[in-house]
Amino acid sequence: MTTCDRRSFLQLCSALPWLGGRSLGSWIPAGDDRVLLVLELLGGNDGLNTVIPVDDKGYAAARPKLQAVRQGAHALGDGTALHPALRALHRRIVGGEGAVLHGVGYDRPDRSHFRSRDIWHSADPALVRVEAKTTGWLGRAADLLAAASAGVPAAAVGGLEVPLMLRGRRATVPSLRRVEDFQWLSPTSAQPQPAGAPVRRIVDEPVAGTDARAHAAATARTAVQLADDLTAALQRYRPRAEYPDSALARDLQLAARLVVAGFGTRLLHVGFGGFDTHARQLPTHAGLLGQLDAALDAMLQDVTAHGHGDRVLVFVHSEFGRRVAENASQGTDHGAAAPVFAFGGGAAGARGPAPDLHRLDDGDLIATTDFRAVYADLLSWLGLDAAAVLDGGVLPAGLVSAPR
Amino acid sequence: MSDPLAPFEPSARDPFDLAKVGHLLRRAGFAASLQTRRELVRAGLSAAIDHVAPPLGRVAPADALLQEAIAFGDIERVRAFRVWLALQSVHPLRERTSCFWHGHFATSNQKVLDPRAMALQMATFDRLGLGTFDELLLAMCRDPALLRWLDNDVNTARQPNENFARELFELFSLGRGNYSEQDVRQAARAFTGWHVRDGVFHFQPHLHDDGDKQLFGADGAFDGGDVVAAVVRRPESAQFLARRWLRFFVHPEPDDADVTALAACYEQSGRDIGTTLVRLLRSRLFFSAAAYRCKVKSPADFVVGTVRLLGASAAPASLAATMASLGETWLEPPSVEGWHGERAWLSPAAWLLRSNFVADLLAGRHGRLRPHPAVWFRGLDRPADRARAAALLLLDGELDEPGRAGLLAVAQAQAGADAATAAAAILHAAACLPEYQLC
Repeated sequence: MTTCDRRSFLQLCSALPWLGGRSLGSWIPAGDDRVLLVLELLGGNDGLNTVIPVDDKGYAAARPKLQAVRQGAHALGDGTALHPALRALHRRIVGGEGAVLHGVGYDRPDRSHFRSRDIWHSADPALVRVEAKTTGWLGRAADLLAAASAGVPAAAVGGLEVPLMLRGRRATVPSLRRVEDFQWLSPTSAQPQPAGAPVRRIVDEPVAGTDARAHAAATARTAVQLADDLTAALQRYRPRAEYPDSALARDLQLAARLVVAGFGTRLLHVGFGGFDTHARQLPTHAGLLGQLDAALDAMLQDVTAHGHGDRVLVFVHSEFGRRVAENASQGTDHGAAAPVFAFGGGAAGARGPAPDLHRLDDGDLIATTDFRAVYADLLSWLGLDAAAVLDGGVLPAGLVSAPR
Repeated sequence: MSDPLAPFEPSARDPFDLAKVGHLLRRAGFAASLQTRRELVRAGLSAAIDHVAPPLGRVAPADALLQEAIAFGDIERVRAFRVWLALQSVHPLRERTSCFWHGHFATSNQKVLDPRAMALQMATFDRLGLGTFDELLLAMCRDPALLRWLDNDVNTARQPNENFARELFELFSLGRGNYSEQDVRQAARAFTGWHVRDGVFHFQPHLHDDGDKQLFGADGAFDGGDVVAAVVRRPESAQFLARRWLRFFVHPEPDDADVTALAACYEQSGRDIGTTLVRLLRSRLFFSAAAYRCKVKSPADFVVGTVRLLGASAAPASLAATMASLGETWLEPPSVEGWHGERAWLSPAAWLLRSNFVADLLAGRHGRLRPHPAVWFRGLDRPADRARAAALLLLDGELDEPGRAGLLAVAQAQAGADAATAAAAILHAAACLPEYQLC
């Protein structure tokens, strides 16, 4: 087995007819408008029970109780199979509309949710502490886009907080929870209305610096602009798929709505929590993956029906996988490497060596692809300068040594 | 080098004024009316410290209301009770510090599913949050809500579960990098059998692993109490807590030298939290220019603080709901890490919701205003005087030139309006200034 480096994910996108034979580095179409949605599974998704190494005897040995998910799992053809709940996403992958990349992580994995999440968000495994100046990889990408265009280049959907991933130096990234949040009320009228000129003057002052006050001022300015523009743009959307009734489906539909509305948004983050399955994992995990399957499939149908299928790619990851051996509470503890997924945008196939259950690092899977190599490919897919976003052009090919 | 914790000495050049009092009341409490602030300026620094941190014995506990909140078994009611405590601010520093500990030992009812246990955990913060950390940490290790939250109720000698031990070290006492994986596993064994029965802590000897353990290089048949005793004595714990307190009370990114100074102060005090915090609140560091308005108001700061500044009367349950819509749902933090805070609080959507909350409050759509805002503007007909009054009421009277000019423009635009409309518009504009998002 050769080193699995960034080439793996390049292959992942190479099934696209329009990519055939071209080198990614020079292929950046003018006026590119591709959209990357990062769907983050919060809490540490159990990769081994999501993409199951069904043919590996070591799997059943390590998971005497949790191996029950092999019943009804959907084969991928490389010795692994998807969790039974991932029916629709499996159909997409075998149909050439989705991809799995095995064994993604980083060297010397950290088992803290928060630290590992900060690492994935900042793309900096050496990050000591998150400070005001710390930025996220999509935030830095948004900085590049904000320099080039108006509108809202990036948004966090579903919560009020903008995650570290979307924090940049220049771009003020909004969070979007409900469309109705973006209205302006005055003390003299109960009806939403555009902010009056004197208040605009207050929020329109030029912003300098990076301190808390500058952040507050930039936020106010963006907020008042969005109150006028965003609601109007989002009214144009009509759903073209039936979404299930779940919080994740509502968030993904709002993301689709933002894409369809044509607001210039190209980078999106949606979080989906509950994956910290330390105890009684089987029903919890099946429920979460079932929600993921139904909601994401509906969202992909919707954007495709609106004619945006080729320009939208959904990337799914978690802060870490879980330990290979199940624990005594019929759950799993914090682990390391795990598979990631890509749907839409031409991503296809299953790539990278399936996890090796017989070569472990302190009970954890060893990463075969560095997550920054995956980021580099996603940025290239977006037509952005991966080296500028991932700091100093240290592209991680070969960064993770060959484990076999 | 000068001692950052040396007491602040007011001088003619750097007096104890409305800005200093406003700063103290925002950081060590939930703000206060202009009248209170003026009185405290006159009374001086020591009196102001006594105001935010009176002797605990002098303050009547709200036990009856706690019992009522518990009796209903409804988490909304418990949340409203906590907001009511903040609104009353009988002991400002205690209400504030309980919020700190809630974010520190961040426990969510979404998993605990026991409003009574959540109410009692908060009451423990009220009772012990300004005492010694030794006592508080041990109480937390026996706290029914926390034990359930971190799966220690299934941690047994035969089936150890590391979740509780890991967060105890990483988030509650030492910080990442100051313990080993081995320490986590051994500590998990020490807490086996620390369970909950009938809503109270219950030790189950037959599920406890009483074998030998190695912890921080020592050997012994440790139990949970031994782990706590060992952890609080570690110098890393003092550093860890000192950094947390500085971030919460003083500056989001404290200097290492200040952390070390506060850690030393904490250790000298016998690990007494109240003594340490009062020393911090009196210090030059606390009243330094760098500390003023360097933090972003949390939703609780913003919502409860605005109500108190304006003298509004609004239902605690409805204020709790507003705080939740702004991203801070007490008793349901997003994770055991607590709220991220600072600029994570302030996205454009959150800014609009904050602005709209003030608009609703001023319009009487969110409860009554007493007195009506127009009262503060009585006798002030000139736009410049009105703008100044609004800045005093909401912003310590401290504004830079663009802010002053912006507020004046709003006041001028309202020159023809009736007094009530003008007052509401000017106060709303003041709350839209970047400074009002800061504390």
